[in-house]
Amino acid sequence: MMQRQINQPKDWRKIIKNIYIYIVLALIVIIFSVAKLDKVEMFGKGHFLSPDSLINLIRMSVPIMILSGGFTLLMIAGYIDLSVGSAMSLSSVVFSLMLINGVPFVAAFFITMAMGVLLGAINGFLVMKLRITPVIATLVTLNLYKGTALLIVPDGISSIKSSAAQKMPEWISDFARQGVIFGLPAAFIVTLAVIAILVVLQRKTLLGKYSAAIGGNRVAAELSGINVVKTVWLLYTIVGVLATMAGAARASYMSLGDPLSGDGMETDCIIAVLLGGTAFTGGEGSVIKTIIGALIIMCMTTGLLTIIDAYYQTFAKSAVLILAVTLNHLLARRKVAA
Amino acid sequence: MMKNIISTQNAEIKGKMSNESFITLFMLVVLIALFGIACLFVPNFYLARNMLNLVTNYWYIIIIGVGVTFLLTTGHFDMSVSGIIAMTGVLSVYFCQSTEGSQPLAVGLGLPYGAAVVLALLCALAVGAINAFFIAKLRIASIIITLGTMSLSRGIGQIVTLGAQRNTSLPEVFGVVGNTIVPGISIKLSVLIMIFIVMIAVILEKKTVFGRRTYLIGANSEAARLSGVKVSRHITALYLFSAFLAGITGLLLASEYKAGISSRATGYEFDALVITLLGGTSISGGFGSVLGTVIGALILSVVTSSATGLLLSPDWQFTIKGIVTFLAILAQRFALDKRKG
Repeated sequence: MMQRQINQPKDWRKIIKNIYIYIVLALIVIIFSVAKLDKVEMFGKGHFLSPDSLINLIRMSVPIMILSGGFTLLMIAGYIDLSVGSAMSLSSVVFSLMLINGVPFVAAFFITMAMGVLLGAINGFLVMKLRITPVIATLVTLNLYKGTALLIVPDGISSIKSSAAQKMPEWISDFARQGVIFGLPAAFIVTLAVIAILVVLQRKTLLGKYSAAIGGNRVAAELSGINVVKTVWLLYTIVGVLATMAGAARASYMSLGDPLSGDGMETDCIIAVLLGGTAFTGGEGSVIKTIIGALIIMCMTTGLLTIIDAYYQTFAKSAVLILAVTLNHLLARRKVAA
Repeated sequence: MMKNIISTQNAEIKGKMSNESFITLFMLVVLIALFGIACLFVPNFYLARNMLNLVTNYWYIIIIGVGVTFLLTTGHFDMSVSGIIAMTGVLSVYFCQSTEGSQPLAVGLGLPYGAAVVLALLCALAVGAINAFFIAKLRIASIIITLGTMSLSRGIGQIVTLGAQRNTSLPEVFGVVGNTIVPGISIKLSVLIMIFIVMIAVILEKKTVFGRRTYLIGANSEAARLSGVKVSRHITALYLFSAFLAGITGLLLASEYKAGISSRATGYEFDALVITLLGGTSISGGFGSVLGTVIGALILSVVTSSATGLLLSPDWQFTIKGIVTFLAILAQRFALDKRKG
């Protein structure tokens, strides 16, 4: 890489790559805040940038922001986890099932996270020990986790929620809805902490260096003494834990445990990571940029709803995905042609 | 991978069975064993009518499975098939609906059925072309792109149907193909089409240069390129083929239900992948067979229908599919290791 920079200075490409995502986010915010100015006041009720709308946006972004940071580390290492959405659904079901049966919040939260360790470790086991291709192994666990979530919810009801027989404690929504500082919920503060930890993990610790090395060249990483199996296994476990935290936050936000609530989360995570410029082949990437990517997705999801009908969502999101892939490709430094 | 190829060749020289036929046979034995177990435990499972259902149940998954098998043999995924099915179905309805009507969902383009079919298939091919462009030309990971085009095409379906379905003011001819039952053998025309496609695919796979090249690319795409195979053109052809098959499936399903439903075929991409893996196709490439995929579909059919027969709740289906796939992958690897050792 050093040599390349000396030989062919193509700095503009690097500069664009470093800042384009911030520009995209700014553009999206500007578009949505200008879009309906004829009907609503700037920063007023119903405006995209009104305090209520912003706080709600942040509340809703908690799951994807928690999850996509860890997902970045995994993708930097060149691996993928398609089961995150199902892990999220499963944990939201388990979490709310515990709450409805009177388990206190802290205990339920930590038991859910412990389950996340298990779910992530299963993925790591399939991929690293049994050597099943990541996509297929995690597609299998996607169905397993989703199936388990559906099985836990009793027949005849669609989700774990208050009913005549059992009442969900009122405080379930405290975690992700109640304002703690400036009207922001505790879940958001947890999210910030998680992001901070992940950034440090990526930039300052061996784990971050190792995952970049594995993604860059697995064989070379192995030969230089990195325990690839252990490292990637750890990364899968981290993603599993984060997925369950996201699931608990989602359950708290919706005040119920829905076995389908995490559907499509894997695509959202992939979009966020790719928007953040992480190469799909691994080797480079940045947690912070992924978080910006996640914010772009959430701004689009909530902002688009104010402008056009809901059934344009799927199309818009996948168009963004394909755009992000294309941009990534155009801006990537050329690897040796395969 | 080269090892596989070499051992396959050695096996052929010695007059032994190739690894592929071995795995296909192995899965056939598994299928028969599962069928036997199901007959013991599930009441009326052995009835002829039920057996016919088992074979014909999954015709739509088998059709898309054919395309997915070819691609997986070359080491590429195609998750977009389910989206294409939904999109083609919706578009064929939209093109056919008469131009007059008061409700927005009842008004279409009023084209004749033939034109609607051709146009809808062209749209399916367009999605296949997008896949091919990004994967064969720009060399971007197939799983990402096809997940993207999956929701892209489903998104088009949702936009055209305003998020619901279109099922009114259709010409009579629309429902004919999907609901025709072939006289004498009492199976649906769609099933016959499936059998026809499978036969073509088997010939294509085993008896043509195209098929051999598919294996070569899967085994070692660099070696294939160096020996003069136009790899990216080949991958493009395979993605177009897969999209075309998905398009046909979409048309048949839309015709059967006389409706274009935007949520149609959700999860079919996983089912197609499951039956392909059950049939022994390996994602690391160079290994797979269409007949194996058909056997895979039958295994899935036996497992799911016996689960339903045992009165398990439908919530079991995801778990069962997951476990069966996992076991199949392990069993095949074990069988191949034993054979080598």
